[in-house]
Amino acid sequence: MIQGTLDMLILKTLALEPMHGYGVALRIEQISDGVFRVNPGSLLPALSRMERAGRVKSEWRATENNRRAKYYLLTAKGRKALTAETEQWQRQIAAISRILEA
Amino acid sequence: MNVLQNLITGLKSLIQKPRIDSELDEELDSYMAASAAHKQHSGMSPEAATRAAKIEMGSRNSVKHQVWSSRWESFADNFLQDVRLGVRGLIKSPGFTSVALLSLTLGIGANTAIFTLMNAIMLRPLPVQNPQQLVLFGDGRAEGSTNDLPDGTWRLFSYPFFREFSSKTDAFSGVAAINSMPFGLYASVAGNALEPVNIDLVSGSYFSVLGVPPFLGRTISTADDQAPGGGPVVVANYAWFQRKFNGDPAAVGKLIRIQSHDYTLIGVAQPGFFGTNVGRSPDLWIPLSMEKEISPGWNGIGDKFFQSLDILARLKPGVSTPQASASTNLLFKQILRSDYVGANPSQKELASIQHANIELTSAANGLSGLRLTFSLPLKILMTIVGLVLLIACANIANMLLARGVTRAREVAVRMALGASRRRIVLQLLTESSLIAFTGAALGITLAWKASPILLHMAMPGPAPVPVNLTPDLPVLAFTLALTVLTALLFGTLPALKATRLALTPALKEGRGGGTASTRSILAQSLIVGQIALSVLLLASAGLFLRSLTNLTSIDTGFNKQNALLFSLDASAANLPHGSPEEIRSVQLQEQIESRVLAIPGVQSDSFSLFTFNNGSWTENATFQGIPNTPENRHDVFLNNVGNGYFATMGLTIQAGREFSSHDTQTSPKVAVINQTMAHLFFPDGSAVGHHFVLGDDPADPEEIEVIGIVKDAKYTSLGRSGQMAAYFPCTQRVGFYGNFTVRYAGDPGPIITAVRQIVAQANPNILVSGVSTLKEQVANSIATQSLIAQLSAFFGSLAVFLACLGIYGLMSYSVVRRTNEIGIRRALGAQTRTLLWMILRESVILLAFGLALGMPIALASAGILTKLLYQLSPTDPWTFATCAVIVAAMTLLAAWLPARRATKVDPIVALRCD
Repeated sequence: MIQGTLDMLILKTLALEPMHGYGVALRIEQISDGVFRVNPGSLLPALSRMERAGRVKSEWRATENNRRAKYYLLTAKGRKALTAETEQWQRQIAAISRILEA
Repeated sequence: MNVLQNLITGLKSLIQKPRIDSELDEELDSYMAASAAHKQHSGMSPEAATRAAKIEMGSRNSVKHQVWSSRWESFADNFLQDVRLGVRGLIKSPGFTSVALLSLTLGIGANTAIFTLMNAIMLRPLPVQNPQQLVLFGDGRAEGSTNDLPDGTWRLFSYPFFREFSSKTDAFSGVAAINSMPFGLYASVAGNALEPVNIDLVSGSYFSVLGVPPFLGRTISTADDQAPGGGPVVVANYAWFQRKFNGDPAAVGKLIRIQSHDYTLIGVAQPGFFGTNVGRSPDLWIPLSMEKEISPGWNGIGDKFFQSLDILARLKPGVSTPQASASTNLLFKQILRSDYVGANPSQKELASIQHANIELTSAANGLSGLRLTFSLPLKILMTIVGLVLLIACANIANMLLARGVTRAREVAVRMALGASRRRIVLQLLTESSLIAFTGAALGITLAWKASPILLHMAMPGPAPVPVNLTPDLPVLAFTLALTVLTALLFGTLPALKATRLALTPALKEGRGGGTASTRSILAQSLIVGQIALSVLLLASAGLFLRSLTNLTSIDTGFNKQNALLFSLDASAANLPHGSPEEIRSVQLQEQIESRVLAIPGVQSDSFSLFTFNNGSWTENATFQGIPNTPENRHDVFLNNVGNGYFATMGLTIQAGREFSSHDTQTSPKVAVINQTMAHLFFPDGSAVGHHFVLGDDPADPEEIEVIGIVKDAKYTSLGRSGQMAAYFPCTQRVGFYGNFTVRYAGDPGPIITAVRQIVAQANPNILVSGVSTLKEQVANSIATQSLIAQLSAFFGSLAVFLACLGIYGLMSYSVVRRTNEIGIRRALGAQTRTLLWMILRESVILLAFGLALGMPIALASAGILTKLLYQLSPTDPWTFATCAVIVAAMTLLAAWLPARRATKVDPIVALRCD
């Protein structure tokens, strides 16, 4: 996992649909083809921190297996943060690529 | 979510920690279930899927901990945990806790108490509008009245000068005048019985210049202060109004009778306003136009040479003090030139005007006689208690260091289990703060009780000094800052040291701990510092005590034993003033004198203008045909006395005669002068039979003949010697003089009762306002010195005691640590003496260092005390030697106790101990 990108990846994942913790971890792993594996020890604190910061909110919902799970939803503030972080990330990537290609 | 919401959510989760915890558990459960379901879905067996999910999750508690730590309330939670842990730790070692708390309570309490006094007397601004704009004319060092025009700095001013100055000045937005001396009189409120009141006479501009609004009714205005006798109104102090009328607004308009004149209560000043003089709070304010009615002997309204006022002024916005000072002095000289000297001033008068000046001083903190008296003593006491607190801190730091060593294993275990160093340092500091804050809380309580007692000890008297000593914001801020500083001072180094340890050896060690730590340089320098500071404190205490002994053993000249002092107040008696009838006052006094003399046990008695240390009237004297010398140009202390005065005071007549019934209003004016005065004017011959006048003018018609020479005595203070004095008979200086002294033998109780009866019979309107003894009068005159000596002795002893406690603790610890070694030495045949010396050596070295450091510092800084010492050099060798001996003896005793215990250890026990 690249330093400082976890929040952005979580936000991006949640932008698609509300998800519970394991769903987020699974989705990141699947989309990245198993390159990024997020363990609960970093995922849950990150979610808790972002919830406090108002970027996500949570609610208890029933899962497909009829269990109760905590689902995380993106807030408007989280959406804004995602856009900002994505833009910044792309600027950085572009800059790094330019340096590497020079 | 904003900060506030975050705060609220955090607090909620702190309170509902179990619920938050179970929710987190449920989330983790569902996470695992989802993970296992997914794995099962992709082909694993249920058991394998569950196991894999568990492995993925890792330590469940660790995940929970990480989630918990991502929120701010985890810090608060840790803190609460630390506090709990700290309290438990402190309860477990009651010895350490009680010594630490006691020394901090005393240390912080003493600092807060002294600071409370400093704040109230020296620092607190007047409760008026923009107090920093107020300036005082002069330095506020004079009180009373004077009629000479000083050839230099002016301190007191006359009413005509005030009126003229305030009408012409343009540097100030307002000028106000207050009588420099308060009047303690009796008043009858709304027809009730007489009771004592304190009165300040103020100009009509007083309240408006200060910006003090009325709480009820109105304040004194300039219209009340126009014509003499034209403003019979009073404004009440809010505190007095509450006391007398319980805050009833109907009080406004009531009549108050003072000195047989009626005054209307027109209003109550704003709550909290106590006047402009810290330590002297009037009950009533009355316009200066009523001066003659309040003080019939005074004639200040029309007399430009009767200077009795303090002048306060408010700077115009934008005008600086130097600008105001220049403009003030310019106008001042113009007024002097046009009003105070004739059209053709003499050379001398011109020179006087040239030198005359008004010094503007800030009046933001008000005027205060207390401030002038107590500034230096308070600063010195503040230093002393500050040093005591420092010693207490060093002591606690030392105890914590020792504790740190015994707790090395606990710390090592916690660190081995993964606690960070930061977390442990924080925990140890929490413990220190816990001690500090508990000590501070106790200290504030102590200070709250102690400061009024201290003030009363410094200013003894029947009524408490009106200074507000409730802890206010500055005091609480001071104590808070002090507490935090204290906690950091004694907590930081031991905490850092406790966590800087090699884990393996610390875990392996049995009881006790690292050998290096107790003998560390840090612990030793703390002890050296404590010894040095105790030397300093003990030396200053010794100096104050010696100086006090010098003061108390002074020969007062008069006999202070067996003399009762009655203060009589005739303000309600309506005695005649300024008329030939005034002789009736003297006849009344003589009547009381002769009746009291008949009481069994009374040996002699006399009225007088002054006794000792209760005011003064001074003027210089000129003898016919005697040239002026610098010595005899000094002011003479003057007193008006009854015929029995010298016998009552125990002052023997050295030559000539004393006053008798032949000295009457109509006979030639006579005086008895003291030895110093006789000697300064007539070094070679007798003064008896010579004539003098008061003042500089030898042609003054009022010639006074010296009829006797009396023994020298102390007049205004014990510290002042070589004062010239002259006594006049009351019959030739008529008036009612309220000091009545009675020399007695036997039991004073019945005599006091009898005197009260006789006074009441002579005139029921003359009130006995106070009874004391000459001895008390003398003791009260050095109350401040006694207080400083007592306090510094107390704190000096406390300092030595704390330092000894430190040594004792260090040595006890070192003995316990070396039990094994001592056992081996004894088993090998070491002598008790050798062992004793081996252990004592360390303390002797520390003592030597402490003395070597403390003595020069004490000697060098003692110079600051010079002003407060009476006939004693600040480097008095006797004091310093005694103090060194005391510190050495106490230190060695503190070290000897544990050392002796060590030599009594049974070698077998010692060897078995790990």
